[in-house]
Amino acid sequence: MEQAWLIPVFGFGAFAFLALFRKYLPGQGKHLSVLAIIAAFVAVWPVLFDMLDKGVGEHHFPRDWFSAGPLEVGWGIIVDPLTIVMLALITFVSVIVQVYSLGYMRHGNADDPRVGWYFAVHSLFSASMLMLVLADNLLLLYVAWELVGLCSYLLIGFWFERRSAAEAAKKAFVTTRIGDVGLLIGVVLLIVEFGTVDVIEIMNSLGDPGVNQAVVTASAFLVFFGAMGKSAQFPLHVWLPDAMEGPTPVSALIHAATMVTAGVFLVARLFPLFDAVESAQLAIAAIGIVTALMGAAMALVMTDLKRILAYSTMSHLGFMMLALGAGGYTAAIFHLLMHGVAKAMLFLSAGSIMHAAHDETDIRKMGGLRKRMPVTSAAFTVGALALAGIPPLNAFWSKDEILLAVAGGLNPVFVVLFLVAIVLSALYMGRAVLVVFFGKLKPENDGVHESPRIMAWPLALLAVLAVVTGFIALPIGYEGIGTFLVAPGDKPHAFEVVPVWLVASVVLALGGLALAYALYGDEDTSRVDALRERFARAHDVVANRFYMDHAYQWTIDRVVLRVSAFLALFDRKVVNDVGVNGPGLSAVEAGRRLRYHVTGLFADYGLGIVVGVAILGALLWIRSVTG
Amino acid sequence: MSFAERHILEWLIYLPMLTAVVLVALPAAWRLAARWVGVGSGALLMIGSAWVFIAFDYSAGADTFQMIKVYTWLESVGIDFRLGVDGIAAPMVLLTGIVALTGSVIAANVDRDAKNYYILLFVLIAGVYGTFVSIDLFFFFFFYELAIVPMFLLIAVWGSSSTFADFARTKEYGALKLVLMIVAASVLVWIGIIAIYVWVDIGTFDILRLRDAVQDGGLSSGAQKTLFPLVMVGFGLLAGLWPFHTWSPDGHVAAPTSVSMLHAGVLMKLGAFGIIRVGMTLLPEGMEAWALVLFILGTVNVVYGAVSAMAQTDLKYVVGYSSVSHMGYVIMGIATLNSIGLTGATLQMFSHGIMTALFFAVVGAIYERAHTRDTLILNGLASKMGWTTAFFVIAGLTSLGLPGLSGFIAEVLVFIGAFHEQPILGALGILGAALTAVYILRLVARVFFGQRDPQWDDLPDLTPREIAAAGALVVPLVLVGIWPAPFLDVIRHGVDALPGVDALVGGLL
Repeated sequence: MEQAWLIPVFGFGAFAFLALFRKYLPGQGKHLSVLAIIAAFVAVWPVLFDMLDKGVGEHHFPRDWFSAGPLEVGWGIIVDPLTIVMLALITFVSVIVQVYSLGYMRHGNADDPRVGWYFAVHSLFSASMLMLVLADNLLLLYVAWELVGLCSYLLIGFWFERRSAAEAAKKAFVTTRIGDVGLLIGVVLLIVEFGTVDVIEIMNSLGDPGVNQAVVTASAFLVFFGAMGKSAQFPLHVWLPDAMEGPTPVSALIHAATMVTAGVFLVARLFPLFDAVESAQLAIAAIGIVTALMGAAMALVMTDLKRILAYSTMSHLGFMMLALGAGGYTAAIFHLLMHGVAKAMLFLSAGSIMHAAHDETDIRKMGGLRKRMPVTSAAFTVGALALAGIPPLNAFWSKDEILLAVAGGLNPVFVVLFLVAIVLSALYMGRAVLVVFFGKLKPENDGVHESPRIMAWPLALLAVLAVVTGFIALPIGYEGIGTFLVAPGDKPHAFEVVPVWLVASVVLALGGLALAYALYGDEDTSRVDALRERFARAHDVVANRFYMDHAYQWTIDRVVLRVSAFLALFDRKVVNDVGVNGPGLSAVEAGRRLRYHVTGLFADYGLGIVVGVAILGALLWIRSVTG
Repeated sequence: MSFAERHILEWLIYLPMLTAVVLVALPAAWRLAARWVGVGSGALLMIGSAWVFIAFDYSAGADTFQMIKVYTWLESVGIDFRLGVDGIAAPMVLLTGIVALTGSVIAANVDRDAKNYYILLFVLIAGVYGTFVSIDLFFFFFFYELAIVPMFLLIAVWGSSSTFADFARTKEYGALKLVLMIVAASVLVWIGIIAIYVWVDIGTFDILRLRDAVQDGGLSSGAQKTLFPLVMVGFGLLAGLWPFHTWSPDGHVAAPTSVSMLHAGVLMKLGAFGIIRVGMTLLPEGMEAWALVLFILGTVNVVYGAVSAMAQTDLKYVVGYSSVSHMGYVIMGIATLNSIGLTGATLQMFSHGIMTALFFAVVGAIYERAHTRDTLILNGLASKMGWTTAFFVIAGLTSLGLPGLSGFIAEVLVFIGAFHEQPILGALGILGAALTAVYILRLVARVFFGQRDPQWDDLPDLTPREIAAAGALVVPLVLVGIWPAPFLDVIRHGVDALPGVDALVGGLL
């Protein structure tokens, strides 16, 4: 376990090497990056077995990095079940995505001209995320957190010649950066209040006497604000759908294993902090359910396949936050894992379609693809059904756990809203599958064919996993995930089945699918806009993303930029022209006036001397009189 | 002390002066020779500076300046040529070495009268070294002035004038304003120095003896509080302290590339360094009384500079205002008066010096090729100018405080120090870092990304010489970002010895 710090090192090394020398390597060194991530994946297993050997729990291995004044900052690691499952997910999805990318980044017989850079950043991305889940202190966590943001910026903007990609990359970085203002303030507050950066130490002394609870409360909210940015929670979700301007495998990585899972992980890592602040927990649950419903609604009306998936991610991230708000630590992380597998597969399937159909993403131009792309269709359908919550697929189990946590820990309003979200999930997934893969094949898709094997195999593997991974919830060989992955300070619990909720969630999910079939099951897939015809006004609001992007753009253009233009003008006209040039010009003017006193006439100077002497005499006289 | 340790500091001053003299003797037509002399001298200075930094023994007992060298000069008045470095000056010496070398490499791009350009550049460098290593107030001030004077000619002769939609800035205006403002401010400093000399009244300009005398009550609290604003404004102006900063963007825009590098990279640090060396060391009670004012002004610097930078459409103005913003972190860090904040401030001086030199080198390269710096016209440069883009982005990421690069370590230490004293101002500082991200990323998206206008199709990328210079600047940025410990150990040695610094011995609580 102690050597677990090596896991991210492979990726960092690959990045540094490729960044400097990729031009001189065969294939721009892409295989090196794949090898590095495979090495990391392999290295996770000894860590797991070592923990099973030495005892499941929190293992801490501190190391020194730097110090300033009394502040000691290390680069030590925490190895606990949360870390392990995250390590497994990140390395696994990264391996799949990188292997798939070997095929995806080839067009015809040639690699993308910047393929080396693509893989270099991929390596950095995974490595940063691995460092994030291992970090034992708040500053190291923040370091990794920001590096993750940087990589998403570089990959979303990978095709930077496209204006839209450049804008999307900027939007993602700036939006998450706004969240990070909150995070950094929260982190610094905690460091100053507790005098240490060590996560475990801080979490253990939250309730100590003398700790300012106002600071703890404030930092809980501020840290969560950071998590909202990365995990695309309302109202900071606007960057996520635009993020698909990057190559599609990048979307798979961002949506499944890195970036968006960082926020959920952060809340889990600092769980005791939120546990201690009830109002923050409620806020997390509320933001979570709002995000879940908004995301599901938008996923239902989008006509761009990748956007549907993006909003679906947003919705599921909402589920995870909701679970965390309800105290369902295990449920949230479990869902994170299951969703990661399913969503990676969905994005890679979408990429497979795009690869075959000349980057087409508009589902209105698709239909009947199952006949041409059997592997892709099967994979996509399995993933969609999993996320719709159909047993026995993986996300069914985790969604059920969330439902139990919400029912057990929160107001019934949350339960009802969550059930609505379950129906919507099934509905939008059903819509996507029916419109894209069923119905008549469109003439423009005549040339479509299944993707090369290097892309098809990862899909097949993921499909199998989406079927079986859910069973880790069950007591098979051990007592189930509920006993391995336990919230700090909580008791392990085995997987529960509450028949009422189980039946309810399955019935609702199936109901959603049935509804989807009723609306979109028609052979003629032009019915994709069924909802628009029926609820025109509501549809417009949702399809325009609740006008939030418009509102933000307006704020930037009309408020932020105007204020800054005004300030720049103020700086030039007032501070400089008046404040600086003013005295300068006055000095020049004063000199110009004064020079008229230099007349050169003896009489004038004589008068001056006489007046001066008189004044001095008068002063001396006054002084002698006043004493 | 070894022979080298006894003489290295004075040679850091003699060498650039000697270089200037050699250059004077060169025939004006020998342009290539002038370049080689300049670059060679820069390289020697770099080696010497690195040596000073490495040889500085941070495990030695605190409160000892090292490599001290004294030549008696005017015994009757108490002025000596007295040199020495502490943990704050050592990183500044290293910074000067790096920027002097890369600056003199970039200066090889100057075509017109290269010889005289290099002469003035090396006089300036001599002044900078002198200021950082002098521990005699008189010579401190002498070198401080020496560094400023060449700026006027360098900008007014080799600079560039700009015309914008609604206003124009000639290079003469930029040069005049820069020098007049700084000289006017140094009058305040000079008054302060003379007053300290007279009032402490021990007949010496030796900073260390003056410091000890002040510690023993040699200067009344009232006097310290009266003198501090003179020093604060006088030195602060050179550090870009709001509202005395306007010389900085205009001056940098007008200045030729390598002068901007040296000026923003090193000269602005002299201001902050002066506040520490004179203000904190000799007027500790004045510093304490005025700390909050300085703190607030520093925070204004950060936010005001960032918001102003956002509205600029000229690459150099953006970088100029970003310097105003980033020097605000230095000022904030100094004003925290605690060991973490001051460590951050010193590291930020180093980090910002390197980063801004990199910025100006890249922007200058773009200007030389495109003959414009207008961000509304330039676009899509990335696909043809890969190196240029990479270096600009690295500088930009440093400035927005990305971890893994030096700016982050420095800024986060300033923030932690600041939160310990004034959480609200600290939070505004963090907000400033987010604003930086906005203006830098907008700029990158506009200028480097997107479709390229056909008129920029033929712009060549950086030359190998420019790549070498910029690359040499990237190394310390990454090094400090990943492995800051060697720097922080040296800086700690200096910060611990400063009077009036809260060492936070009981931890942060």
